[in-house]
Amino acid sequence: MEEVLQIGSSTPPPVQQPKVKVPLIELRKVSKRYGGRFAVQDVSLVIYEGEFVCLVGQSGVGKTTLIKLLTKQETPSSGQVYVAGRNLSELRDSEVPYYRRKIGVVFQDFKLLPQKTVWENTAFALEVCGVKTADINRRVEKVLDLVNMGRRAGNFPSELSGGERQRSAIARALVHSPKILIADEPTGNLDPVNTWEIIELLYRINQKKTTVILATHNRQAVDRIQRRVILMKSGKLISDQKSGKYVI
Amino acid sequence: METLARIIRLGYNNFWRNRWLTLGATLLMTLTLTMISVSLVLSLVVRDTAATIRSKIDVEIYFRDDSVEDGRILALAKRIEAQPNIAQTNFIDKQEALSIWGRLPINESIKKPITTAYNPLPRSLQVKAKDPDDIQGAVNAIEQADREQLICSECVSYGKNKEAVDKLISITRIVQRTGIFLSIFFGVIAVFNVLNIIRITIIARADEIEIMRYVGASNAFIRGPFIIEGILYGVLGTVITTLFLVIITKIVAPYTLAAFSVLGIDFYRLVVSNLGFLISLQLIIGVVLGVVVSSVSIRRYLKA
Repeated sequence: MEEVLQIGSSTPPPVQQPKVKVPLIELRKVSKRYGGRFAVQDVSLVIYEGEFVCLVGQSGVGKTTLIKLLTKQETPSSGQVYVAGRNLSELRDSEVPYYRRKIGVVFQDFKLLPQKTVWENTAFALEVCGVKTADINRRVEKVLDLVNMGRRAGNFPSELSGGERQRSAIARALVHSPKILIADEPTGNLDPVNTWEIIELLYRINQKKTTVILATHNRQAVDRIQRRVILMKSGKLISDQKSGKYVI
Repeated sequence: METLARIIRLGYNNFWRNRWLTLGATLLMTLTLTMISVSLVLSLVVRDTAATIRSKIDVEIYFRDDSVEDGRILALAKRIEAQPNIAQTNFIDKQEALSIWGRLPINESIKKPITTAYNPLPRSLQVKAKDPDDIQGAVNAIEQADREQLICSECVSYGKNKEAVDKLISITRIVQRTGIFLSIFFGVIAVFNVLNIIRITIIARADEIEIMRYVGASNAFIRGPFIIEGILYGVLGTVITTLFLVIITKIVAPYTLAAFSVLGIDFYRLVVSNLGFLISLQLIIGVVLGVVVSSVSIRRYLKA
């Protein structure tokens, strides 16, 4: 696996923490219980604007639940989640769609609509928000260029490789210009080459001031990028390193 | 405006994309609307039949050729008509009696001997009561009006068909009640079928709904296309049902007309003359059903 890490033309630039730290996400003693079992237990955490955070741990330690708490798919059993100063528990149902437009989410299984082309999948995210067609065309073109999928815009997901699918999904997540990009095991279904391409892409996105939260159990990727690493185990946060490696 | 156009386009596309599910939902909607329409048409038939049968109940008074002149009968008719419980009277002279005889569905060889030259058919006065059930009241009214004693008691024929008519009416009532019960029963089954198939079409697109929610689609935007689809089910169901009804009744009309010639039941004419009512009723039921079922089924996917 080591040689994989050599692939990729650019090497990650040195760690650049923002000069003034503005808290963007804050979890205060957050727990989420399903039945009697804690999926997330007593997690407190602050993520600042512009950070790249790796959320690591084995499958089933609560990473996805934590992400669902951030995307307001789940509400905490106790504790509070603040994003950009707002308590998510106080969001009304009708406000949730507007909140979601401010965050982009990427999944392991891509979640692309199979009957739509790359372009349509990306444009769809703006269409549902009522953006004007001319505006959509401009923004989709730009974001597809960013993820290097411009030439595949007319293809359907079934005609793409795993890496290309994930890049399309990232394009869709980014097309709103969200402040936060959350990626839940984005490389879980990808081979090492594609994995590194995706990690690099997330990296570039972070350089453009988007806060990135990457949930993964891919040790190489985490070690390679050397950014903040938050380690979870059995629903609890057990370590938080500023520039770290994936250690269990 | 652009958003509305997008919602309509999405709904329309979804409708065509899942052709088999759409077909199933449309057919079930058609079935529902057909059941409702057929039971409606049948209840109209039963109502008309009952009315026809009841309108046949009357009192007939026959006059021997040598008894009184036409003028005095007509005067009597006027007096009878003036009675409060009498609906109308109808004087049939010898000429008209002959033409009625000519139209009777009986063997020509029996009809033939009676001609204008040899016409033993008596003149008659038909008296219709306002309430066909109150034949006795009509008879009393006739007796009261007959101050000149023009009528001999054996010339009055009444109530001869009353017993048969009463039986028929009670049968039509039973048919009507059974029809209402059956149409409600099948209607409920059909509604549940429509409910299930629309739910299946929504479950089949749960992924799409999930993605729409991730990218921040408002609930109204997610619901919109499904409601458009619901409307399309209703509209298409109405079109198919109407065509079906018109074509089927057109085909069976000659046979039913022959079978029920006395009652004059013409299903085709009944459907065509009530077409506006039938179509609007189907549209309302179909569209409301489609929209309500769609919105109810989608609701559980719209939790934030």
